Amino acid sequence: MSFRLHRALAVSWKEALDLRKNPGLLASMLALPAVLVLVPTGVIWSWLRNPDTVTFRSMALYYDPTLPLNADPVRFMIDKLVLDWFGVFLLMPVFVPILISSQSVAGEKERRTLEPLLAAPVSAAELVLGKSLASVVPAVAITWLSFAVFVLAVDAVAWPLVHAPVLPNGMWLFGIGVVAPLFAFLGNGLAVLVSARVGEARLAQQLSALVVLPLMGLVGGQLAGWIRAGTGYYAVQGLVVLVLDILLIRASVRLFDRERLVSRWT
Amino acid sequence: MSRIEVRSLSKNFGPRTAVEGLDFDVGAGEVFGLLGPNGAGKTTTVRMLTGLLRPSSGRAIVCGVPLDGDGEALRSRVGLLTEQPGLYDRLTARENLRFFLKLHHRDTKPAWEAARRWMQRFGLGGREEDRCGTFSKGMRQKLALVRALLHDPQALFLDEPTSGLDPESARAVRDAVGELAADGRTVVLCSHNMAEVERLCARVAVVKGRLLAVGTVPELRRQTAVVEIHVEGSAGAAGEALGPIVPPCVWVAEAHVLRITLAGGVSIPEVVALLAQAGVRIHAVFPAQRALEDVYLELTRSSETEAT
Repeated sequence: MSFRLHRALAVSWKEALDLRKNPGLLASMLALPAVLVLVPTGVIWSWLRNPDTVTFRSMALYYDPTLPLNADPVRFMIDKLVLDWFGVFLLMPVFVPILISSQSVAGEKERRTLEPLLAAPVSAAELVLGKSLASVVPAVAITWLSFAVFVLAVDAVAWPLVHAPVLPNGMWLFGIGVVAPLFAFLGNGLAVLVSARVGEARLAQQLSALVVLPLMGLVGGQLAGWIRAGTGYYAVQGLVVLVLDILLIRASVRLFDRERLVSRWT
Repeated sequence: MSRIEVRSLSKNFGPRTAVEGLDFDVGAGEVFGLLGPNGAGKTTTVRMLTGLLRPSSGRAIVCGVPLDGDGEALRSRVGLLTEQPGLYDRLTARENLRFFLKLHHRDTKPAWEAARRWMQRFGLGGREEDRCGTFSKGMRQKLALVRALLHDPQALFLDEPTSGLDPESARAVRDAVGELAADGRTVVLCSHNMAEVERLCARVAVVKGRLLAVGTVPELRRQTAVVEIHVEGSAGAAGEALGPIVPPCVWVAEAHVLRITLAGGVSIPEVVALLAQAGVRIHAVFPAQRALEDVYLELTRSSETEAT
């Protein structure tokens, strides 16, 4: 069956409409960005309210024993927090597509809409692309918008100490522009794959969300000082995720076989 | 020329055989009934003929497209009304239909106007902007039927099209089916509503894993004889007296009337004698016009007997 972009876009159009009319899902999608912006901003704000230089210096020396004596430890800790927070921020482009795609794929089974859809002239690749666009585009848009708010909030809070913008920096721009979309495809690919195998949107969501565990582990390694994050580190993460994305898309198209879906789920 | 040609069509799911060796033809402009109990393989057959499932063996050509050929062409030429309407509840009726118009690359004003005319016809006029989640079961069924007609298919597969509809809507749907056929479209109707099948279908196939019979309703009726016996007291209790008869006869009891389908050479005097011996008081005996339901029950029950 030949690939037709208009059919993938039709699937995407329907998914976008459905998403707009699902206030519960929209609220869940916005909760995580709010937390990921407010928490670090609040931490920096509390640090600057009562900057205990001795405590901050000992914390800073833990992460960098070569820290010069004349360096400001609070500024160091702000930079360190901002650097490491990108690893946590990546949860957003992973998690938002999981919320959307679990609903859009397993939800078709739950609502018994799959059979009429599969009886229409739409191929597996068109379905996967249409559903993926409908989850990756909002996820990336939310991530970028949250980044903009995050930059404004951090710079506003840190200004009294730093007197210069902390963000955006090269690493964050690279990460948000290149790595975050790759992570969005990862979350979407996992959710599509899991949804094609399980019968319930909730179960698909729960299983797909397990992907955040290794990401949290990596962030834990950064906080413990075992992993030094930076542009190169996130570029390597991006490359690994790119390979996973390609594998997941291929597997998803194979799993969207009509025979398999119809005989198992309708 | 046949619009649908089915030859030795079979489908297995692992070790389980869902349908085996189906053979039938359906012509252009014909309404063809597919009858069978739940689990008989009707839905599996329809799914194969609409390109949703691949046959395990055999072949079929639907609207000029072999099942192992161009799936896109096949799905563009057939319309399917599934057992469940399968509408997107959060979307409006218009959005539901537009989505399928887009998939068929027919999101044009004339196509939408045609869809609106069908909606009007089925009593859904003015509900275009309402969410499908607010629709009753009958309204959902009718909207799903409009969706199946959107792309002007050559063949329509309708699974229980009047299920859940009020009598007025059911008649509108039946009239529409008749008109679609008169317009040259082929309609395959799966239904448990025998009166509907008798009224609409030129020919009927009875399936139960395999093809039990195929023909026009009068042809099927002629296959066996039926007698209607009016008894005193419960006809059900009288029917129990037919237990020893060989081969077993299918009977249906309604109040004081016992309708017996005579199988394999059993005669009316033989049945009457058996009932009299059992002490049943008989008021009248009439050779009866066989209902399609009786033919259907006999065919499906005799296939059960053969299986055991």
